[in-house]
Amino acid sequence: MASPAPASIPAGAIAATRVSKAYGDGPRAVTALDGITLVIPDGEFAAILGPSGCGKSTLLNLVAGFEAPSSGTVTVFGTQVGKPGPNRAVVFQEPALFPWLTVWENVAFAPSLARTPRADYEGLARELLHAVGLQGFERHLPDQLSGGMKQRVGIARALLMRPQVLLMDEPFGALDAQTRLQMQELLLQVWERYRKTIFFITHDIDEAILLADAVYVMSARPGRIQARIPVTLPRPRGLELLTQPAFNALKREIFELIRGH
Amino acid sequence: MSEAVAAAPAARPRWRAPRLAGLQTLALPAAILMLWEASGRLGWLPAGILPPPSAVAAGWWDWAFGRDAFGLNSYSGTWLANVLFSAQRVGQGFVLAVAVGVPLGVLIGWSPLAARLVDPTVQALRPVPITAWLPFCIAVFGIRAFGAIFLIALGAFYPIVINSAHGARDVGRNLVRAAAMMGASPLQLLLRVVLPAALPAVFTGLRIGLGTAWTAVIVAEMVAVKSGLGYVLWDAYYIGRMDVVIADMVSIGLAGFLSDQVILLVEHRLLRWRQLTRG
Repeated sequence: MASPAPASIPAGAIAATRVSKAYGDGPRAVTALDGITLVIPDGEFAAILGPSGCGKSTLLNLVAGFEAPSSGTVTVFGTQVGKPGPNRAVVFQEPALFPWLTVWENVAFAPSLARTPRADYEGLARELLHAVGLQGFERHLPDQLSGGMKQRVGIARALLMRPQVLLMDEPFGALDAQTRLQMQELLLQVWERYRKTIFFITHDIDEAILLADAVYVMSARPGRIQARIPVTLPRPRGLELLTQPAFNALKREIFELIRGH
Repeated sequence: MSEAVAAAPAARPRWRAPRLAGLQTLALPAAILMLWEASGRLGWLPAGILPPPSAVAAGWWDWAFGRDAFGLNSYSGTWLANVLFSAQRVGQGFVLAVAVGVPLGVLIGWSPLAARLVDPTVQALRPVPITAWLPFCIAVFGIRAFGAIFLIALGAFYPIVINSAHGARDVGRNLVRAAAMMGASPLQLLLRVVLPAALPAVFTGLRIGLGTAWTAVIVAEMVAVKSGLGYVLWDAYYIGRMDVVIADMVSIGLAGFLSDQVILLVEHRLLRWRQLTRG
């Protein structure tokens, strides 16, 4: 599935070394990613910020193993990424829940694939469903839930896998503004509790600053990492941060960085 | 609770609506039957070609419950046996078609390799109507039950395999990716994601296939075997028993309808998740 990486590969939870990705070949080839190099330390909440079409979702697909890079290497905790696997949990933009399974069965899908005895995951599953506010909805079907609730199932499902890293592909992008704020607050609380390395794709500057320890700003066509901006705002954070001067100063900095190019 | 209270004033017209709708549904068939019966009694229709409904009903009654009186009426009391002959052939052929068609269709839809290996052959044979296979069937299997069963299975196979392939091909990419990132093996992906996702399309194929199976059994029995509703249909026509011909046609329709209801019942059971979200 994955082979040990050469010694030259940098440490860190997620590392990309001169990663490029092109679609098609010859003169028609489109370069989605061009020479991406980044290292995300263990335990960091990393936000990958960029406009639509900059290849940020492609980058996530490479880390998840859904696609292979055209050149360069992607490693997760020093192991080169091959196929998708349960050490890299993904929360999709569309919730990607199985519509024929209940909330409980969706959350417990990974352990059921691995034939893990129910006793081994039941406690954590209940705790996670409680943490995302879905206790009492175990027997509901996905289509009986709102968009925000479906996404919370997706988050609980991902965390129950006890992954090394959590990959989130614009998970709140399809939600209405108010639900998005609620979900951001919920994710902050959940992250305080579990402190996983998170690779969070977004095009929303507010969201990136509110959630992340560091914002990786991407430019489009071809996709490149333009800057890594640390967010030193104190934790635990809440939505009140959105109106504070320190937040706005950071927002201005990132905004100018994006506009200047 | 509050919903029930709010709905109370609207309850009366809702009780009346279905009764009226039922009358509207029955109006046209009732009118046709009455016109037909009246025309027959007034002598406007040649009774030997188009007997009135009452004569059909009498003929059917005798076909179903009559005692074989001195061999004068060879159909008396044979209705149930013939229905069962046909139903059994449809059942056997259909089960065969499902057993081959569903796995093969899902595989074609899911695996590009399986699609390349099998799909062109299926598509090339499909334009040959099942009726055209009849002489071939008789030549190969003779006047025996399996010739009919082969024809039925073949007729039902095409819609089943094609719809199953369609369903498996249309499985959402994100569902497949979600299963893959959770560590699903290829077999688990097929059985726990692709198959359930394809099931609604599979059932569409089963229902169309069952309709084709009834078509095939009638054709096969008219030509290749000496029992069943198709055999009686042709035989009765040959000796001018048009009352039995019409009763036979209605019987085929009823059998097709009832067997479709059975599939619907299974579908409702297996795809409960779809009804819950559509109610």
